[in-house]
Amino acid sequence: MNILAIETATPACAVALRTSDGVERAVVVDDERHHTEALTPGIERLLLDAGLAARDLDVIVVDRGPGLFTGLRVGVATAVGLALGAGAQLVAVTSLEVLAAGAFSAGVRGTLVCAVDARRGELFVQGFELAAGVRHLSDATVTVPEALVATWEASGLAVTFSGDGADRYEAALREVRSASFYEQRVPSPIEALRLGATREPGGDVVPLYLREADAVANFSTRERPT
Amino acid sequence: MVPELAGRAHVATIGPVIRRALDAAGLDASAPALSGIAVTSGPGLIGSLLVGLSTAKALALAWELPFVGVNHLEGHLFAPLLESSDLSWPIMTLLVSGGHSLIVLQRGPGEHEVLGETIDDAAGEAYDKVARWLGLGYPGGPEIDRLAQQGSPDALRLPVSMIGDDFDLSFSGLKTAVVRATQQHHEVALADVAASFQAALAEQLLRKLRHALERYEVAGLALAGGVAANSKLRIEVGELAREFGLELHLPTMAMCTDNAAMIAAAGVYRLAASGPSALNLSARPNWQLADVS
Ligand SMILES: [Zn+2]
Repeated sequence: MNILAIETATPACAVALRTSDGVERAVVVDDERHHTEALTPGIERLLLDAGLAARDLDVIVVDRGPGLFTGLRVGVATAVGLALGAGAQLVAVTSLEVLAAGAFSAGVRGTLVCAVDARRGELFVQGFELAAGVRHLSDATVTVPEALVATWEASGLAVTFSGDGADRYEAALREVRSASFYEQRVPSPIEALRLGATREPGGDVVPLYLREADAVANFSTRERPT
Repeated sequence: MVPELAGRAHVATIGPVIRRALDAAGLDASAPALSGIAVTSGPGLIGSLLVGLSTAKALALAWELPFVGVNHLEGHLFAPLLESSDLSWPIMTLLVSGGHSLIVLQRGPGEHEVLGETIDDAAGEAYDKVARWLGLGYPGGPEIDRLAQQGSPDALRLPVSMIGDDFDLSFSGLKTAVVRATQQHHEVALADVAASFQAALAEQLLRKLRHALERYEVAGLALAGGVAANSKLRIEVGELAREFGLELHLPTMAMCTDNAAMIAAAGVYRLAASGPSALNLSARPNWQLADVS
């Protein structure tokens, strides 16, 4: 089984491939929000390295967010096109659970809060309990650093923060006395692949926005309809 | 329109839409008998463009087909020509839509020169703004067109602006004049306002188009873009073509609105003339027709 994973939830654009012989490859193809330009050529190169054609793919795993809307749309639209064209199955994972899986693989245990930078002073967050496996403590939600600090400071629990949102607001999050940090700027595409490989494919995939569309209007007011 | 909403809708519908198109054409989704993938890479809303662009690149990669980014306005130029088999060139085209108003000289397929364009609002934009002022629905074109059928185009005296020697257009003065005239003459019926506005707008377009036809010798006259659905404009452009003895190319109603058939047509031409685009192609939200080559 040949599985491709697409990771575009943060300013980085990354892809991973597991071929039927079990070999796993991963590459960060771009680091600076050039998802539209970098993603497909990155996939093409990764396939070439493995001696595969896109039509040899059986499963496409895509990170549907939460994260940068532009990146998510590029990632999901590319996954949809690839799955359709290659006759592959489509599977979705979320950025926050990929971060949790990455921390778990690295040996982090206990209470983990994954945080993706949501811009405009906000964070997409989700709590996990890492023990024998990864257990969700809450649903993914959008919040501000102060609220996150208040919640976890009040809990009295030792907590680990991870993700590019944790990096960005590390100074604020250090207010939580028991806080520690596991650095993971980009959700790992290999972790996305492994997580996706355990899931039943099926159904249409759309990005996980966690924000109403009207709240982000006027992004592109310079442009006119055509 | 909220751009973010459009982007969200596109990413949710693009897969099902492509599957339906393949089904309707009787094509096998795993290896369709196609010679390329064309996609609009600009101009337009960035959030929408990159959905199409990303899906198109992925399909090109999966199907191992050439991929080409097409200018949306060049697509519009092909729309009225899709159903004519034997074309004589050059063709003078009036392209009028919600976002654009251009007079374009086409020397051959894909060889175009923008002679003039709006210096302020697009024609479709003027329709929308006047419709909003009159309390009509959006988009304003069909509403005003429908109302105008029952009104008198001579009810209000509206200016036909800028009779300069160039081919540029301007509609913001007309919109302001409608606002002022309706404030001064409350008694004028809505249908009469609509008819007067529509007549003044069409007259400006027609004067400039006539001016271009007097300057450049062409074999055909075409109307393109969303405003090409306007009944008055279709009739008057038809009369102009007859007067100059030109082949008339009017798009069907389906080809007036934004559609992918016109992008495919432009793509066929672009692939042959300019070759495929690279898979690292960017979206170009402000890509001008004059910059296409
Ligand atoms: Zn258009």
